[in-house]
Amino acid sequence: MKAAFQIPWVRALLALALVFAIGCLCNAHGAFFHWSTHRDMLRQVSVYGILACGMTLVVVSGGIDLAVGSVLGLSAVIFSTATLHHGLPAFLAVALTLGAGAAAGLASGTLVSRLRVQPFIATLALMVFARGLAKALSGGQKISRVIQQPDGSFSYVDLPTVFARLDARVLGGNVAAVSLVFLACVLVSWVVLSRLRYGRYLYATGGNEDAARLSGVPVVRAKLLAYGLCGVFAAVAGICQAAQEEQGDPEAGTGYELTAIAIVVIGGTSLAGGRGGVGLTLIGAITIGYLEKILSINAVPEASRLMLTGAIIVAAVLLQRRKP
Amino acid sequence: MPEPLLRFARVGKSFGGVRALDDVSFDVLAGEVHVLAGENGAGKSTLIKILAGVHPGFDGEMTLQGKPLRPASPDDARRSGISVIHQELSLVDSMSVSDNIHLGRESRRLGGWWLDRPAQVARSAELCRQLNLELSEADMARPVEAFSLSVKNRIEIAKALAFEARVIVMDEPTSALDRPEVDKLFTLVAALRARGCAVIYITHKMEEIARVADRITVLRDGKWVGTAPAGECPERRLIQWMVGRDLSEQFPPPGEGRAGGTAAPALETRGLGVRDPDPSRRNAVGGVSLRVAPGEILGIAGLQGSGAAELFQGLFGSRGACCTGEVTLGGVPFHPKNPRDSIGRGLAHLTADRKATGLVLGMSVGANVSLASLPGVSPMGLLRRGIERSRARHWAGALGIRLASIEQPVGTLSGGNQQKVVLAKWLCTGPRVLLLEDPTRGVDVGAKREIYSLMRAWTGQGMAILLISSELPELLGLSDRILVLHRGSVSAEFTRAEATQEKVLAAAMGSQ
Amino acid sequence: MSKHALSLVLTLCLAATALAGKPRHGDKWIIGMSQCNLGEPWRVQMNADILKAARAHPELEVVFKDAQNDTLAQAAQIGEFVNAEVDLLIVSPKEAAPLTPPVAEAFRRGIPVVVLDRRVLGGDYTQFIGADNRRIGRAAGEWIARRLAALPRMKAGGRARLVELKGLMTSTPGQDRDAGFREAIKGAPVDIVFEADMKWLEPEARKEMESALAVNEQIDLVYAHNDPGAHGAYLAAKAAGREGDILFVGIDGLPQEGQAYVRQRLLAASFEYPTGGKEAVASALRILNGESVPKEVALESRVFTPDNVARGGDSL
Repeated sequence: MKAAFQIPWVRALLALALVFAIGCLCNAHGAFFHWSTHRDMLRQVSVYGILACGMTLVVVSGGIDLAVGSVLGLSAVIFSTATLHHGLPAFLAVALTLGAGAAAGLASGTLVSRLRVQPFIATLALMVFARGLAKALSGGQKISRVIQQPDGSFSYVDLPTVFARLDARVLGGNVAAVSLVFLACVLVSWVVLSRLRYGRYLYATGGNEDAARLSGVPVVRAKLLAYGLCGVFAAVAGICQAAQEEQGDPEAGTGYELTAIAIVVIGGTSLAGGRGGVGLTLIGAITIGYLEKILSINAVPEASRLMLTGAIIVAAVLLQRRKP
Repeated sequence: MPEPLLRFARVGKSFGGVRALDDVSFDVLAGEVHVLAGENGAGKSTLIKILAGVHPGFDGEMTLQGKPLRPASPDDARRSGISVIHQELSLVDSMSVSDNIHLGRESRRLGGWWLDRPAQVARSAELCRQLNLELSEADMARPVEAFSLSVKNRIEIAKALAFEARVIVMDEPTSALDRPEVDKLFTLVAALRARGCAVIYITHKMEEIARVADRITVLRDGKWVGTAPAGECPERRLIQWMVGRDLSEQFPPPGEGRAGGTAAPALETRGLGVRDPDPSRRNAVGGVSLRVAPGEILGIAGLQGSGAAELFQGLFGSRGACCTGEVTLGGVPFHPKNPRDSIGRGLAHLTADRKATGLVLGMSVGANVSLASLPGVSPMGLLRRGIERSRARHWAGALGIRLASIEQPVGTLSGGNQQKVVLAKWLCTGPRVLLLEDPTRGVDVGAKREIYSLMRAWTGQGMAILLISSELPELLGLSDRILVLHRGSVSAEFTRAEATQEKVLAAAMGSQ
Repeated sequence: MSKHALSLVLTLCLAATALAGKPRHGDKWIIGMSQCNLGEPWRVQMNADILKAARAHPELEVVFKDAQNDTLAQAAQIGEFVNAEVDLLIVSPKEAAPLTPPVAEAFRRGIPVVVLDRRVLGGDYTQFIGADNRRIGRAAGEWIARRLAALPRMKAGGRARLVELKGLMTSTPGQDRDAGFREAIKGAPVDIVFEADMKWLEPEARKEMESALAVNEQIDLVYAHNDPGAHGAYLAAKAAGREGDILFVGIDGLPQEGQAYVRQRLLAASFEYPTGGKEAVASALRILNGESVPKEVALESRVFTPDNVARGGDSL
C-alpha cells in the first residue's frame, strides 16, 4: 500500500478519485450519472488539456510557457481569417496555423535556449506580443461568418465543413471530436517523451542541465523542440477553440495558461523539471474537468466556485505530495 | 575519565523495516576530535542526522552534559549547541559573510524587528579573528560567493561558533580543499579543541585520521564496531574494522608498462592553452604539452587554481571552443568544440562533482547509464528500452553496482554506487581516452579498491586515462607517470618510480 | 553585440509606435477620444462608430487612446489630451470616482467634454450620453414574458422554465441587466431554473449551458446578458440536439454579432445597447460650432427580431 503510494500516477488517480467522489455525492439530482455530463466534461477540458500537453513538454525540460493562451488566440484568428475570409482549403489553413504556432514557440525557445533569457520572462514577453498580434490581425473584432463590406453593410459566408467536423460528436455521438484531438495530442506527447531519444533529452535537460550538456545532450535543440511543440499544441487548441465558437476571437485563451499549468501540477509533474509525464497530465486534466463540471451542474455561485477551486487544488496537490 | 560531553546510548533507527542504525553507544568528550569512520552506508550519516534533529524519531537516547537530548528539528539541535557542517555547505551564496554567520540568530533591536547590522559585523569580525580567518571588516559585507571554497568552509565554522556550539560535526570537510587549505583547517580544528568544543569528524582519508584524531569510533552496517584512542588504532586495524576484512594492498599493480611505448599516443597536446571565459583574466592553462599512450594512466597533480580541472574542461569542450595550440587524438588533429563532439571522437570526462555535473538524480539508473550514448540505444531516434536495459544490466554487473532495479532513481543509491553509475555512463560511450577527475570522491574504502582495479582493467584493454585526484596517495598509487601543474603550466614530470608525495607537492607549490 | 542591436531595434520600434498618435493642429478641429478598454467588441464598435461619423465631416480629426482597462492609465491619457490642447474630449470612462477629477480639470480648462456610456460624478462636463442597462433589462424581461405567454403549454396554464446566463456580476452592466429583467418578469408564470455567471465569455456560456441542459429536461428560453453568451448557449443546445426547443435572447445588438445571429435565426431576439458613437460626434460638431447642447442624452434602444431585423429593428 505504502509502496503503491510512491508511484506518481497512483497519487494522481487518488486526487481524481477524490474529486469524482465529490461528484457522486453532489450529483445535481442524478445529472452527474448521465454519460452526457462526462462527455461534456471531456469536451470542455479538451482545449485546456491540449495546452497542458505542450506545457508538460516544456515543464519537463525545466521551463514554463506563459504564452500558450495568447498563441491560442492568435491561432484562432489566423485559422478563422484563412478559412472564413480568404476561403483557404482546410488543410492549408490548418498547416498555416500550425506553422504560426510553431514559429511562436520557436521564438520563445530561441530566447530561452540560445539567448538564455529566463523562461518566465521570455514567454511573458511573447504572451503580450502574441496577444497584440492577434488584435492587430483581427482589427480587434471577432473573425466570424459575418463580414463587413467596404460600404458598411454585412455579408455572410457559409461555415466551412472543417468547423462543423471539429465541433461534431463521433463514435455514435458519445465523444466530442475535440476530445479525440486532445487524446491524439496526449498520444503524440507521450511518444515524444517516452519513446523518442529527444524525450530523454528533455528529462535530462530538466533534471540537471549541466550534467546533460556534459554528457553530450544537445540541450539547445531539446529546448527548441519543447517550446516549438508547445507552440504547435497551442495552435491546435486555437483551431479547436475557433471551431467550437464558430469564430476567431482575438481575446480567446486569456488566462488559459494558468489552467494549463494547474493541470500539469495537479497531475504531479514537478515544476522543477525532469520529472512527470503526459499520462499524469491527462489525469490532471480530467480532475480539473470534473471539478469545474461538478461546480457548474450544481450551479454554485461564482464567488464560492473560486474559493472551492482554490481549496480543492491545494487538497489535491497535498494529497499527492511525495512523502519525505 | 572525564565526564563525557555527549553520550550516545543504544541509539537506533529504522527506515521502512530496514535497520539503518542499531544499538550504537559511545561517548564524546569535551576538547577532543572524535573521528567517526566507516564505509558509505555504515550508518554515519544516519547517526549525524539524528544528532542534527533531521530524524526526530529514534530509539535509545542521547545526553548532552548529562541532560537528555532529543532535538525535534535542525533548529532545535542548533539551539542545543550542536552544529553540523555538511559536505554541501549551507551558506546562502548571495548573502554577506556576516549575515550568513548570523543567519537564524540575527542581532536584533526594537523588540526584535530591527536588524542590528553593525553589531553583527563587529561580532563576525571578532569570530573570524579568533579563527585566524584573514578577513577584514569590509569583507564582512561582501557576499559569500566572492570567496573560495576553503574560506567558505571556515565561514561555516565561524557560523557554528556564533551559535556557541559545544559539539561541531564536520562531514568530510576537506573533500574539495587543497593541501595548504587543509592545513589551515586543521589549525582551526585544533583551536576548536582548545576552546573545549567536541569535534566529531567524518572522513574517508586515512592520513587525515592519523593527523587529526584523538579517538576513533568505527561503524559498520549500522552497528558500532569499536572506539579506541588514535594511538591504539593503526591504519591496518582501522581498515579491518571498517571493511571487516584485511585490505593488504590498496592499489593494484600497474600493467605491463606500455607507458612510453612506440604506439601512436592516444592523446597528445602541444602548447595547449585554455582561455578563461572572462577575457580580462589570464588563461587558466597556458602552453601545456603532454602525451598519453594507450594503456597508460597519466596523473595530473596540482593544487586548486593550477589549471588541472580547466585543462580537462578545455580538452572536453565543456566551455565551448576555448583551446589554443594543437591537440591530436590517436594521431588525428582535434579541435575541442563541445562535449557532444568530443564524446563522438572517443573522449569521456568524469567530473569531480557527480551530483552537480555527473548524474541526473531524478532519473533511473538505466537512463543515467545510457545518457551519454543515447544515439546507440535509439536507432532512428526511437528509444529502445530493451537495448537500454540490457546495456545497463551489463555494466551494473561488470562494475558491481549494487541496486534493487535498473528503474530505481539513481539518487537512492549510495555514493560509491552512484560513482560507478557515472563510470558506466562513460564506458557506454566506448571511450579511447578517459579524463577522470577525483574518481573516488566520497566513495568508501571497499568501492575505492574496486574502482582502482577496474581502471587497471580498462588500461589493459588499451584505454588511456588522464587522472586528477585531490588525494596524493591515490595519484601516486595509480599513475604510470605524473605531470605536475602550477599556475597553468607544467612544473615537473615524474615517472612512477621517481614520484614521492614530497616531490610532487613541492612541484605543485611551485618550488624547484 | 547582436543582443544590443536587437534591443536597440525594439526600442526604436516602440518609440515610433508611441509617437505615431500625436495630434496635429491645422485648420481642423482635433477631438481626443479616451476609450477605457478595446478588449471588448462593443467598445471596438463604439470607436468604429465615432470614426465613421467623423469621416463624414472633413473638418474633424479624431485621435484615439486606449487605456487597456486601467483606470490610472485613462486618467493619465485624459491629462495628455489636455496638455496637447485638443479642441474637444470624448471620454468613455472605466470608473466614475477616480476619473471625475481629470475630466473636471479638462472641463475647467475650457475643453468641452462629452462623457459616453458610463458616468462621472458631479457636473463638470458638457454632456453625458448613455443608454440605461436597467431599462434594457426590463424591456427584455417584458418581451420575454409576452413571448413565453404565446407558447401553447403556457396557454394551458403551465409555467415556463428559463435559464439566465449573467455577465460578470461584479460589474454594473451585469447587475442592471439582471435587476431590470427580474423586475419585469415578477409575477409572470416563469421559473428561473438555472443561473450562472459566464463572465461575458462565450466559451464559459457554452460550458454553463451544457450543465443547464444536463440538469434540466425542459428549458424554454435562455436569457444571456450579452449576445456572445446567447450564441454560446445556442451552440451547446445545438450540440445536444435541443436547439429547436429553446429560444435564445441576448443583449448588445452589434451588427456583426447580435443582429447577424438574429438574421441567421439563431437568436429569437437581441436588444441593442447603443454605443452612442454617432450621437457623440453629432454633439461634438454642435458644441464646436458654438451651439448649446442638453446636459443629458438618453440613447434610444432597439430590439431586433427575425421579423424586423431586415428593416433595422424596432425602437423600444
